[in-house]
Amino acid sequence: MPFPSKTISLIALSIGTVLGSTPAVAQVPPGRMLASQCAQCHGTNGQGPGFEELAGKSANDLYGDLREMKLRPVEGIMDRQARGYTDQQLRLIADYLSTVTPSGNAD
Amino acid sequence: MSNFNRRQFLQAAGAATACAALPRAASANTYGRVVVVGGGFGGATVAKYLRLWGGDVQVTLVEPNPTHIACILSNLVLTSALSMSRITLGYSALQTNHGVSLMQGRAIAIDPPGKRLTVQTPTGQESLDYDHLVLAPGIDFAPAPGLWDPNLTPHAWQAGEQTTRLKNQIAAMRNGDRFVMTVPKSPYRCPPGPYERACVVADYLKAKRRTGAKVIVLDANPSIQAEPEAFGRAFSDTHRGVIQYFPNAQVQSIDSASRSIVTSAGTINNATVLNYIPNQKAGAIAALLGVNSTGFVPVNPLTYATAISTIHVIGDSCAVPASDGKAVPKSGHMANSEAKVCADAILRALNGEAADQNIATSSACYSPITARTASWLSANFIYGDIYDANGKVKGKGMHRLDIGEAPGQRVNNDSYQEMFTWADSLFADSFV
Repeated sequence: MPFPSKTISLIALSIGTVLGSTPAVAQVPPGRMLASQCAQCHGTNGQGPGFEELAGKSANDLYGDLREMKLRPVEGIMDRQARGYTDQQLRLIADYLSTVTPSGNAD
Repeated sequence: MSNFNRRQFLQAAGAATACAALPRAASANTYGRVVVVGGGFGGATVAKYLRLWGGDVQVTLVEPNPTHIACILSNLVLTSALSMSRITLGYSALQTNHGVSLMQGRAIAIDPPGKRLTVQTPTGQESLDYDHLVLAPGIDFAPAPGLWDPNLTPHAWQAGEQTTRLKNQIAAMRNGDRFVMTVPKSPYRCPPGPYERACVVADYLKAKRRTGAKVIVLDANPSIQAEPEAFGRAFSDTHRGVIQYFPNAQVQSIDSASRSIVTSAGTINNATVLNYIPNQKAGAIAALLGVNSTGFVPVNPLTYATAISTIHVIGDSCAVPASDGKAVPKSGHMANSEAKVCADAILRALNGEAADQNIATSSACYSPITARTASWLSANFIYGDIYDANGKVKGKGMHRLDIGEAPGQRVNNDSYQEMFTWADSLFADSFV
């Protein structure tokens, strides 16, 4: 069966166009899913309720804190949790949380 | 391109068909129907995050009960430290805050080729069409050897009416009475949970001055399965003389009427309270997808998909590939964690994208040791190589990067207070 090459190229074009205009995944911020692992204890998007609010904190401060907790002897539970991520993942988490609007409920 | 054979044409035609469906996707994500079965921590969280991250994806949560009663903190309801309302979580916020549709009913059948779920509701049977189906039914119990009546000898391992029954039996204990409990064979829901229960019941009996009353722990496993240092100290020191711990006690028969139990480590007749916590397996609707040798459903760790790519299993029912001896624990916290990975993967799949591989899952929990002190446990997993017992790579899965319990000096009142911060945050992240 001869395949109409024009049709397939049109299909290919339309796939490209439609996918290109589909926003959801293209706009997924890197680090969003990793940072969602903080939410069980710090609230959805780090906006509380829970332990200290993380939303909107400086990325460098968050990353520095996480690295310090990861490397120091274990005292509190976060010293363990920080050991569960690569440095690259901690950076993605810190970068993402820094972009979230604070809840306005911080103490 | 002109020398395509017929098979390639059919594939291309399939692509064209899929393409025809895509313009719906392009208009503000009005694509995608996801049905979620089970409104515990896994099901509630996946429903919430699909809506939070998924634009206009349609999400229907199917759950037979009007509320979820959390197992988390439920051992403190047994001792009357907390009320049942404290651990009762509703579904209204999922509807009003996130636009999740609720269907009260029990999922009874799946038609995978037709992508249709049948639900038994109070008024009859309903069908729900889906693009992706997420099953989060929690645990079922393996058959008990002997004559077990959970009304007489409650498990209280699914919280609610069972919790009340056991609480009332504990409250009725007097001097010299014996509380006998079993620890199921691993894997089971909430690894620290049985040991925590032994501790808080012992603490309650002491506080009530029930002289000579005992807590007898019959563990099917060879050793304490979680927080061995904290619970080991609690059994041999904090609750010395009250808790008696017997490992390798696999249940051979039980008789609820006489509250008697025969195990491989010994027999106890006429316990005052017999808290038989049975061995566990995947919830029935999830088990339809096929179970492994331990009774749980193998899943892809990147998507939580089963052998059928559009049907996912998360939470206590699933078996995540992991390194030998480093299993992913079954807990509400972990179910919440897996739900987020699953939600992200489904949304990507609806957009024709592959799952993210840069993923991590986690569990953390606090366990009361007395009415004033608690311990904690933390475990973290990342996607990558997993290893057999000899350290050889056996495939890909969730590799446990870290695990640990509270250092001894942290088993204290600060941790007891933090327990409520953790629980309330987890409740809100899952249900609000």
